[in-house]
Amino acid sequence: MTQPVLNLQKLNKSFGALKATSDLSMTVMPGEIHALIGPNGAGKTTLIQQIYGALKPDSGQVSLNGSEITKLSVPDRVKAGIGRSFQISNVLMDFTVMENGIIAEQARLGQSFGFLQPAFSDAVLIEGAKTILQRVGLEKRAEQRVGDLAHGERRMLELALALAASPSLLLLDEPMAGAGPEDSQRMAEIIEGLRGKVAILLIEHDMDAVFRLADRLTVMVEGAVIAAGTVAEISANEAVKLAYLGGEE
Amino acid sequence: MSGLSHFLILASDGMKANRLFWLLIAGFALFPIFTHFADLPFWNDVAMRIMLLGMAAMGLNLVLGYGGMVSFGHAAFIGIGAYCVGIGEFYGLTNGWAHILLGIIVCGLMGLVIGYLALRTSGIYFIMITLAFAQMLFFLFVSLEQFGGDDGMSIDRAEFGFIDLYNPLRLYFLIWVILALVGLGLMFIVHSRFGVTLRAIKSNESRIEAMGLEPLQFKITGYVVSAVICGLAGVLFANWQEYVSPDIMHWTRSGELMIIIILGGLGTLAGPLLGAIVFLLLEESLPIMLGTVAPAYAENWMIIFGPLLIMVVMFGRGGLVGLLAAQRQSKNNPKRDKAGQ
Repeated sequence: MTQPVLNLQKLNKSFGALKATSDLSMTVMPGEIHALIGPNGAGKTTLIQQIYGALKPDSGQVSLNGSEITKLSVPDRVKAGIGRSFQISNVLMDFTVMENGIIAEQARLGQSFGFLQPAFSDAVLIEGAKTILQRVGLEKRAEQRVGDLAHGERRMLELALALAASPSLLLLDEPMAGAGPEDSQRMAEIIEGLRGKVAILLIEHDMDAVFRLADRLTVMVEGAVIAAGTVAEISANEAVKLAYLGGEE
Repeated sequence: MSGLSHFLILASDGMKANRLFWLLIAGFALFPIFTHFADLPFWNDVAMRIMLLGMAAMGLNLVLGYGGMVSFGHAAFIGIGAYCVGIGEFYGLTNGWAHILLGIIVCGLMGLVIGYLALRTSGIYFIMITLAFAQMLFFLFVSLEQFGGDDGMSIDRAEFGFIDLYNPLRLYFLIWVILALVGLGLMFIVHSRFGVTLRAIKSNESRIEAMGLEPLQFKITGYVVSAVICGLAGVLFANWQEYVSPDIMHWTRSGELMIIIILGGLGTLAGPLLGAIVFLLLEESLPIMLGTVAPAYAENWMIIFGPLLIMVVMFGRGGLVGLLAAQRQSKNNPKRDKAGQ
């Protein structure tokens, strides 16, 4: 049996009396697009935060490619192979698109501490940055300041930065939120293109996109998993219909 | 080989972006010729003070302007540097190079300790903690009766080998050379991979974490470098003033450094130096000007200076350097001046 990229075991996290994550176990397999769905307040982002390392679980284990990372800091988890895009675009607004790529490239190479090495004029870094930007088709916007980019392009750039270090697990928190239909379409195509290359854990409210993209789904309600399986299995699941999808019929 | 070519690319990056700074440095080199022929030797003294405060402000600017860390206690490092001369001489250490080395080591260590503790906080807490450390050091030196306490201690200008600092021009050019070297060093740092990362942390710390970098390491390193530069300025300050007292590290001086940076232009190499020039020239001339109009108010030149500062901050967001750049841009490109910034 292949080893899961991400393995969560019995995670618990409470904020006071609120149980945000309750005995939660799940796996993400190599190369799959795994969607995490559930009503608002189900604890999806809190779970992503615990996988990413911004929040520490009260108990339970997070493993990446077979090694435990529960106690690692955010930067150490990124080095171990986690890439992330946030609910609100998280890019370097005061820099150009190319400069964003260059800063990501020098971080990927582990050369961010160079005191006597040039950054924005370095040919090797520029080449690397172009490769990073090409993955999302932003190379033509390289000289644009990020502050002047459209919302959709910023989302693309963030995805490019998250992919820069070739992570084994990509956490995407609502990549299509606030985007128009064209941008959503474009984003879906790019995510589709990543299938099989990187394991993706996707939170998304656009159910059409989720059902089109996901190989497997995990459904969360009030901090716990109520169902997990393929798109067909989840659509047929009575508990899910009742708790979640039912409201939309 | 690649090391050298790297270095040259970095140097050309820095030179292109910082012409104004090197113009000012050249101006300071020629200034003594002007004062000699105009018979205004007093102004050499003013220029030295400008260079010293400018140097300290450049040091603070690395964390404040480039790194976005609002440290309100950098005068402490100037004071520590100055006391390295005073206390060094007290124990018979009269060599100026040794004072410089001592200042670098002590300020580096103090910067490491204070940075390590203070940089765990951010925002208003960081401002308060840096101020608290500076106040602690201020009162420590006030209480050290052995070294003059409140009254301070007088200092003999140090021995710099062949450079006799009692010759005012030699002192002037020692300060000038070190200022130029500090500028060169900062220029390299700011355009290097480290400097770019530091600026990116100011822009968005969580994205830098998401790239697998630990922001604290970069911030502490920047903090130490900036403390060392302020310490260097302090060593020279003590020699220039021939006297050191806790006054040199009074919290108002930390504020003065911030005013100089904001006036000149945050996060630019030329900004702090230009800010120091304008600030100290106004400090010299406003009392005189005010004195001729309303003699009773000559002391209160800040009444004029305050509104001036507010206007620069409101109308030129990049300080004086920003105003100059905007003007040059609109001259080159008159139709697009609004699109520029």
